[in-house]
Amino acid sequence: MVEPSNSPCLVVNGLVTGYDGRNVLTGISLSVDPGELVTVVGPNGHGKSTLLRAISGLLPVRKGSISLNGRVISGQPAHRVAANGVIHVPQGDLLFAGMSVLENLLMGAYLDSDQAAVARRLEEVFTLLPKLAERQTQIAASLSGGERRMVGIGRGLMMNGSVMLIDEPSLGLAPIIIEQIYEVIARLKASGRTILLVEENPARVADIADRIHLLDNGAFVWSGEPAVLLQRDELLATYLGG
Amino acid sequence: MKREDLAHPLVGLVVLAAAIALPFYVDSRYVIGQVTLGLFYAIVASQWNLLFGFSGVFSLAQMALFGFGGYATAMLCFYFGLNIWAAMPLAAVATVLFSLVIGAACLRLSGAYTALLTLAVAQVMYLLIVTDTDCFVMVGTQCRQLTGGAVGFARFGDLGTRAMFKAKFLVANYALVVALFAITMVFTWAIIRGPIGLAFRALRDNPGCAMARGISRFQMQLLVFGLSAFFTGLAGGLYAAHFNAIGPGVLSFSQLFFIIAMVVVGGIGRLWGPLVGAIVLVAADEAMREIGEFRSLGLGIIIAAVMVLMPNGLIGLFESIWNRLRTRNPGMTAEMSGETPA
Amino acid sequence: MEIIGPVLVSGITTGALYALATLGLSLVWGSLGMLNMAHGTLLTLGGYAAFTAASQLGLPVPLAVLAATAVGGVIGALIFVLVAYPLSRRSPETFETTIMIATFGVALTLENAVLRLYGGQPLGQPLSVGGAINLGGFALPWQNLIIVVSAIALMGATALFLTRTKAGRAIRATAQNPDAAKLMGVPVARVYLQVLILSGMLAGVCGVLVSSITQLSPSLGADPMLKAFIMCVVAGLGNLPGAIITSFGLAIVEALVQFLAGARWGFPALLAIVILVLIRRPGGLFGRVEVRRL
Repeated sequence: MVEPSNSPCLVVNGLVTGYDGRNVLTGISLSVDPGELVTVVGPNGHGKSTLLRAISGLLPVRKGSISLNGRVISGQPAHRVAANGVIHVPQGDLLFAGMSVLENLLMGAYLDSDQAAVARRLEEVFTLLPKLAERQTQIAASLSGGERRMVGIGRGLMMNGSVMLIDEPSLGLAPIIIEQIYEVIARLKASGRTILLVEENPARVADIADRIHLLDNGAFVWSGEPAVLLQRDELLATYLGG
Repeated sequence: MKREDLAHPLVGLVVLAAAIALPFYVDSRYVIGQVTLGLFYAIVASQWNLLFGFSGVFSLAQMALFGFGGYATAMLCFYFGLNIWAAMPLAAVATVLFSLVIGAACLRLSGAYTALLTLAVAQVMYLLIVTDTDCFVMVGTQCRQLTGGAVGFARFGDLGTRAMFKAKFLVANYALVVALFAITMVFTWAIIRGPIGLAFRALRDNPGCAMARGISRFQMQLLVFGLSAFFTGLAGGLYAAHFNAIGPGVLSFSQLFFIIAMVVVGGIGRLWGPLVGAIVLVAADEAMREIGEFRSLGLGIIIAAVMVLMPNGLIGLFESIWNRLRTRNPGMTAEMSGETPA
Repeated sequence: MEIIGPVLVSGITTGALYALATLGLSLVWGSLGMLNMAHGTLLTLGGYAAFTAASQLGLPVPLAVLAATAVGGVIGALIFVLVAYPLSRRSPETFETTIMIATFGVALTLENAVLRLYGGQPLGQPLSVGGAINLGGFALPWQNLIIVVSAIALMGATALFLTRTKAGRAIRATAQNPDAAKLMGVPVARVYLQVLILSGMLAGVCGVLVSSITQLSPSLGADPMLKAFIMCVVAGLGNLPGAIITSFGLAIVEALVQFLAGARWGFPALLAIVILVLIRRPGGLFGRVEVRRL
């Protein structure tokens, strides 16, 4: 799969979606180039998770389109979107609570029937997240919050996809664990992965993000480079409460 | 008062007028008898609808309570020689007590658990009655079980209508059932519109807030369970009195689901759903008499198909057709939005 | 102490049958949040399918059992495609209750179809073996032994399938977290279909086993289903290992009560135990209260 480096991997165009009678996103457009880490920052309840759920097909798209590597994926059910190459590491991890760590990881490779490739990726995941190798046989429900997050990310890495959506990896974790998780994400980016990340706090992603979109009330209010955003105190104060 | 508040009483008056008019136009004893039976079903179904459609209790003990009322009436007359008019209200009160015991054991649980437990209670009651073979008293040379066993009780008392109205006694019984039906519907309407109905709406729309304000789902459900048991038990008593017989057949699985089917076909959570369902299903049952042996089979298909194809029942179907007509003619009254139940 | 032998034989045999009936029921509940009221009818259909294959078509025993399995699987699939799937799409929020009513309609239809086709009189299931082993003081009928061994083998096979195969893992994953399963690329609707087919197949064989020690009648599956409900409730709906342990335990209690107090008190005793258990633990012996579907 050779992609010309200048054509974007994931393109979202004029996306409108929501729950019941209410639209949560009112026209979102963004693109992620191969190898890029794009971040959507915004306060809670303004549609960050909704955006990722719409991309991965968990939530139906009402208007607009989503395409991956030039192919339209909006309108497809979630399992087809996953087969097309969208990896979604969801908010709150959504682990298979009654299964062991290893089984959770193997579920990530559900679509892959190449045993050798699965074994190789499992080795890679264990190298990146050595803690998971120690805890292979432990039941997911009995893990700590940080370990669960790692299983969630590891499970995503077991999938064979072209873009990785990561939903608020810092949620509910202690600062020291958050640091560890972001170290992992930085290494993923360094290895050339294409990532769309959602985060509440722009300071956490400033070092690793190529671009930041500021989401407020279902629409982007600002887009640009992280260094610029951190200097714009008025933006931070208005939209993120300082 | 808005117009939609008047809709239910108006429908009620029309139904009552039709019910009163019926014996003046129909002479057939058979038809009067079947309509009477249909009204019994409608009463029981309306109480199940109150439980399931409005209060969220999925109880499968509805016919068990009906049977309890009938059996209690029969046994009070049979063993204690009570007048049937005294026995019926006593039996209804006993049904309430019985329902509170069942409810206390079963209603703390949710959804499917409640259904399974109440079903088990009903089945145990049925099995204990039909397998009862121990002699309790001797009637002449005949042995009689405490619960009446597989045959049940018969000729334990009389409403007195036979002596008073002679050949017209069926119409008199019919009038009694119509009266009970009317009282039951007024009661149901009052519950739905009153504070209890409000509490359930609060629990449905915002359970957290409702519970914080001290509304306990369990207590409210138990309350409605007990209240509806009164009318279900009373209907059971009147049923036993009308036929002057009661047997374990009323506790059977198929009777229970005939009742549930009525609510489903008419429209779950619609005040008049059970009546519509009772009319349609008793009529369908009559029509299917022609194909005799396939009645139950047809009933099964009707339940499954209605559930899948029109989950809001016939009344829900009328509502959506009505709404579609209305949106096509925007000039029509907008406040006639009777689609929300009660 | 001479009742211990017969109580254990009877209790373990019915326990094995309850466990098998419960397994299918619990599997479907755990995955789809669906209480299949037609589960008992699947048992009945399995019993009659084997009867037809063996006595009417003269097929050998393994084929007759296969026929029962196939009929159970096909009807299970139809229940999903025609009833459960459209219902879950149309009104997911009321699915838990509406599916019970709808599958009861299915049960009523199928049971009456059996009644029309075969008549209401009880029929003998040809697939039963006579004779008994004498175990010093009491007899262990071959048929009971066959039932217990087959049931345990089937449960073992199901457990292996669920834990050791990719398809089984996908079933468990879907039951535990359908959204996450979708994100892994699992076609959830197809997994549900597989679960209903598997449950139907288990029910079909279970029906053959039940009818081999009783008789075939259109209401054959009603009693095992009611007992399976009880086991599921005591164990906590959807808990497979718990349901199996409960099935054996309660079946032995039931057999004991039946020996001591008479056959009619077995079921009431079970019900009393259930209610006592649920007052102490509303989520069942092994269940957690917060386990809810989707």
